[in-house]
Amino acid sequence: MKKSWIVIGNVLIMIAILFFVIVYSNIRGQQEYEYRVDSFEHTTVALERVTENYLEGEQGICDVWTHYINHAGLSLEEAVDFVRHSHVHDNVSAHLVFADTKTGLSTRANPGNPEDFSVSYSRLGLLDQLSWIGEVGTQINLSRAYTNPLNAEQVIAFCNRITVQEPEGPREAVLLRLIPMSEIEQKWIFPQEQFEKTEVSIIDAEGNYIIKGRSFKNFNFFEFYKSYNSGNSAQYQQIFDQVIRKTGHIEMQDSRHQDCIIAHTQIASTGDWVLLAYIPKAELKTSSVDWLLIGFVSAGLLLLFAFDFAYMQMFNRKLKGMAVKAEAANRAKTEFLSTMSHDIRTPMNAIIGLTTLAEKRLDDPETVGQNLRKIRQSSNHLLTLINDILDISKVESGKLTLSPVTFSIVETVENLVNLSQPMVKEKNIDFSFRINRMEKEYLYADQLRLNQIYINILSNAIKYTEPGGKVCVDLREMSSSKDGCIRLSYVVSDTGIGMTPEFMQKMYQPFSRQTDSRVNSIQGTGLGLAITKQMVELMNGTIECQSEVGKGTTFTIALDIPVADRQIEEMKLDPMDVLIVDDDEVLIETAADTLTSLGVRAETASGGMQAVELLRHQEENGKKYRVVIVDWKMPDMNGVETVRRIRSEIAENVPILMISAYDWSDIEDQAKEAGVNGFISKPLFRSKLYSIINEMLGVEKRSVEPEDDYSDIAGLNILIAEDNDVNWEIISAMLGMFGITAQRAKNGRICVDIMREAAENQYALIFMDVQMPEMNGLDATRNIRKLDTWASRIPIIAMTADAFSENVAECLEAGMNGHIAKPVDIKLVIKEIRRIKEEGSRE
Amino acid sequence: MKRFFLMIALAVMCFSLGACGAKKTEVKEEAGFKPKLDTKTACEIKVTGNYNNFEALEAAFDNFNLIYPNVVLSYVKLDDYNNIIGTALESNDAPNIYITYSWMYGKDRYKACLDHAEDLSDEKLGLNIDGIRPGLISRGSSGKVDMLPVFATTQGMLVNDDLFKKEGLKVPQTYPELLNVCRELKEKGYTSPVMCYPGDAKSSNLSAFGLPIFCGTIYQNPEAMGKIIRSDPEAVEYVRPALERLQELIENDYLNLEECRKMTDNYNSVILRFFEGDVPMMICFGDTVSGTRKRESQSEAFAANPFSYSFAPIPADETGAYFYDTTNVQFSVNKNCENLEMTNEFMRFLMSGQELNKLAQIKRLLTVTKDLTFDSVYSPFASIPESRIISEEGIQMKDEVVVRLREALYAVWCEGMSVDEAALKFVSQDAR
Repeated sequence: MKKSWIVIGNVLIMIAILFFVIVYSNIRGQQEYEYRVDSFEHTTVALERVTENYLEGEQGICDVWTHYINHAGLSLEEAVDFVRHSHVHDNVSAHLVFADTKTGLSTRANPGNPEDFSVSYSRLGLLDQLSWIGEVGTQINLSRAYTNPLNAEQVIAFCNRITVQEPEGPREAVLLRLIPMSEIEQKWIFPQEQFEKTEVSIIDAEGNYIIKGRSFKNFNFFEFYKSYNSGNSAQYQQIFDQVIRKTGHIEMQDSRHQDCIIAHTQIASTGDWVLLAYIPKAELKTSSVDWLLIGFVSAGLLLLFAFDFAYMQMFNRKLKGMAVKAEAANRAKTEFLSTMSHDIRTPMNAIIGLTTLAEKRLDDPETVGQNLRKIRQSSNHLLTLINDILDISKVESGKLTLSPVTFSIVETVENLVNLSQPMVKEKNIDFSFRINRMEKEYLYADQLRLNQIYINILSNAIKYTEPGGKVCVDLREMSSSKDGCIRLSYVVSDTGIGMTPEFMQKMYQPFSRQTDSRVNSIQGTGLGLAITKQMVELMNGTIECQSEVGKGTTFTIALDIPVADRQIEEMKLDPMDVLIVDDDEVLIETAADTLTSLGVRAETASGGMQAVELLRHQEENGKKYRVVIVDWKMPDMNGVETVRRIRSEIAENVPILMISAYDWSDIEDQAKEAGVNGFISKPLFRSKLYSIINEMLGVEKRSVEPEDDYSDIAGLNILIAEDNDVNWEIISAMLGMFGITAQRAKNGRICVDIMREAAENQYALIFMDVQMPEMNGLDATRNIRKLDTWASRIPIIAMTADAFSENVAECLEAGMNGHIAKPVDIKLVIKEIRRIKEEGSRE
Repeated sequence: MKRFFLMIALAVMCFSLGACGAKKTEVKEEAGFKPKLDTKTACEIKVTGNYNNFEALEAAFDNFNLIYPNVVLSYVKLDDYNNIIGTALESNDAPNIYITYSWMYGKDRYKACLDHAEDLSDEKLGLNIDGIRPGLISRGSSGKVDMLPVFATTQGMLVNDDLFKKEGLKVPQTYPELLNVCRELKEKGYTSPVMCYPGDAKSSNLSAFGLPIFCGTIYQNPEAMGKIIRSDPEAVEYVRPALERLQELIENDYLNLEECRKMTDNYNSVILRFFEGDVPMMICFGDTVSGTRKRESQSEAFAANPFSYSFAPIPADETGAYFYDTTNVQFSVNKNCENLEMTNEFMRFLMSGQELNKLAQIKRLLTVTKDLTFDSVYSPFASIPESRIISEEGIQMKDEVVVRLREALYAVWCEGMSVDEAALKFVSQDAR
């Protein structure tokens, strides 16, 4: 929907609401107005009652006088005297006037002559006709407002015809009780304060005012109406008839051309007089529309509109941002797929191509062998790529979780060194791995992820270091600010190609690879650093990098890792002198520290010559070193030569250990020939030194198993639960190579059935696939563990393509004893079998 | 687009908020009038007179209240006004302003009445009387201005302008043109081209025809009024022109008595008859014209077929008409009244040309200002040259003379008296 339509919609809604409020207010105002008009009308009727009572009261006084004058047979003068003495109110006067001459006497003297009481109505016309004056007591005989001929005051008069006894005989006269209009106006007040602007009038049937309010114009109400209100004769007549005959109200325009209400009601006792009450219409319409309310509603709606509009704008900006991100993600996905396509197809191309070549050269074992090695390399690369992709997808989806276990950092480092050695050897890299103050061997963390972090960094260093370069690893245990933790500092420095600052800014993004003419041939997924960084952050650690193009790179990773509850028992050697010989000052120093911590006195020599001298000196002093530890590679005299000199010149029997950076198989024969009693690989862990020195001194003798001797495992019978025929064929064949026999269960249910029926110790262990039809490996394991035979204790190793750490944890939780990820590495399989066998024998 | 809608929204708000403002009752200032007193002053002003209905004045009250909203103004009609006004002025409830007439001068019974009158020419009062036609301002013997005119009146004829247009005629300006127009109208079948209410000698409208001609003659002969008052036999010559012209209309049946007698009074019936639409010219006074507006709606004939009309001067002779300019109502201020200051302020307001014109327009009487054009009905009088405008003061006209003239005219038309006999009757009566 377009933004403009939303704005239009909002404005229309606002207008509709305002319209509703105004209409509603108007309706309420109209109802209120109608109520007030009704009230005004009722008040007018109430005033009519009051007026009627007043008129009847005043007429009653006049009637009493009349009765007395008529019955007492008074003359005009006597009657005036009587009335004068009967007066109560100062403002009220009376005139007694002969009907024929229209002259008579007043109760008050002429203002200009105190002796003169005469009064004349001859020029007023008021008494020309007396028919309007009814019989005494029958009606109210009220005159119109007229000018008092005596003092020019405007008055009304209550009248009666009387008969006075004059010397010439009875004469008809009129008694007029005069009430000043000013008096009437003061008394005649509309009885409700809310109608304070009301003015009242009394009119006769012809519309002539008897009493006239100020806003009533003209001498006649009907003329007044016609003057300011248009209409034809019929309409006028209809209005006038309504006013004269009914109680109600009419609307009209007054002399100011403003709308007004005239309430009208007949004054019952007067016959045909009508009481009129006038009020401007505006007085009754005090608040038809509450503009303050409208204002507030408008302002509120506008604020709401502005707020909504601003929110909408902000929302749109967010949507835009999200759209850009989505577009970028889509682009990234496309790039990712493109990259994946490329990166997967490249090793696949090698695998397929080399397989084809091998098939065609089956008669040339050397070429086939070379091709197969290359195929294996490509397969391994492909596997790494797939693992990395799965990892990064988990990282990005936020599903990467840690599965902490207790593990040995020594094993981790050994594994790390072992893994790196093939490449180190291949590229002839000067590799050193230093361990500093590693006192805690067992830690509690996600070992797989920690391995992954360390391997990624180290393999990158080796990968991007040219042949003959140097890679140095420094693993250091430091104190941590977190309780129960140590801080592991892992620093990997290389003299490789280094990185540009530009690349360093994006090196943690997936599929970022340094492009350099020297590394074009280097294969990598470009995911390693991205995964590493995510994992380090997941473990609340830090990763830092310093790099310079052409000079090398240093990665520093610091992780706070909890110390496991389980630690190796207190390691102390018998007090003795130990000589350690190495040109590496750091190694010498750390090794000396470690040995000292084991309770021995360590002396150091920085080369073979010095070592020989020290041994000789010791010999001369009648002392002996109980153990001599000699590095293989030294500048002045290598380790083998040094051992040979020691054996030939000084001590034939002293146990000598040779330090080797990694695999010592190349020099093993030569060294043994020279007199070396054992080998120890770098880095020199405390536990390793403890056990091997004890071994040398005969405390515990352990033979070094040759790598290709598998007699210990030959003849084992293993049950393999595997639904896939090819996988079964591969694993069974591989195990067969080591003299291990295997039986197959095609799914979990069959596996359980076999184990339920199996004779005791018929199978040494079970390799259990996880995803299988009918019953999966986890359920099968649980069922086996529930068996009440020996089978419930059989070691079960997961052999599955579910390779994530949570999968491993799931397997262990189900009751398995280990986990091997597919594709299987036969070395790992053999290692796992041996581990199980050893654990079994210990038990 | 966005700005446009935002502006609409803002306009809605501004409109709504603007509407929130409380309605303010402001004191208006009538154009040309600046109040001298505190406009919040509260007091009462009473005007008395003999008019039953004084709507025009009440309209002026309303206008004054726009400036002084707290001043209560009222008009009270006094019964037997001429006799009672003196008493009223002496009473405790004496009026602030009261109606007076020029004829009150020189009469003892009205001396007290005039003695109460404030000198309205006093410059301290600030009344602007320059806009009033000078001939309408009456002065006492000492030059004191006791009263100021509010309305003027004159004599003339209501002319059906549409009828004249329809018949292709022009409204006559001179007496010969009047005869020609009457002849043509007669030929076109109009029974009485000129109509006039005959009534009796007192109520007849005939003097509305004869008075301008007579006044013109007097005006041309400065010695005439003296001779008339002295009943000099030679004075017959001064009344003869008016009578002869009447006689001529009668003889030619341009003024049909039988037709005119169908009218029952000199006011309402005259107006309604004129509104029938078939009367080309209706002779009457300005007072009658004042009733025309209200009766436009009351006349079914006029309501059905309205037409434009005007009040034109009576063509007096070969050179044109005379405009006999007389006052209709005059106001005096009671110098002893309460709230005299505010009373004078009201008079100052009332005497502004604009308010006098409004007053005349509402009453449809002739304005007392020099601007005669504002009311189209009276606009024909605006074309009369100043030299032919005659004031009461100018010719020293007496009421008794007017009565004698009215009787003479009536005698010629309704009693069959000859011009000579009627003229002689006019002269022989003692006007002193």
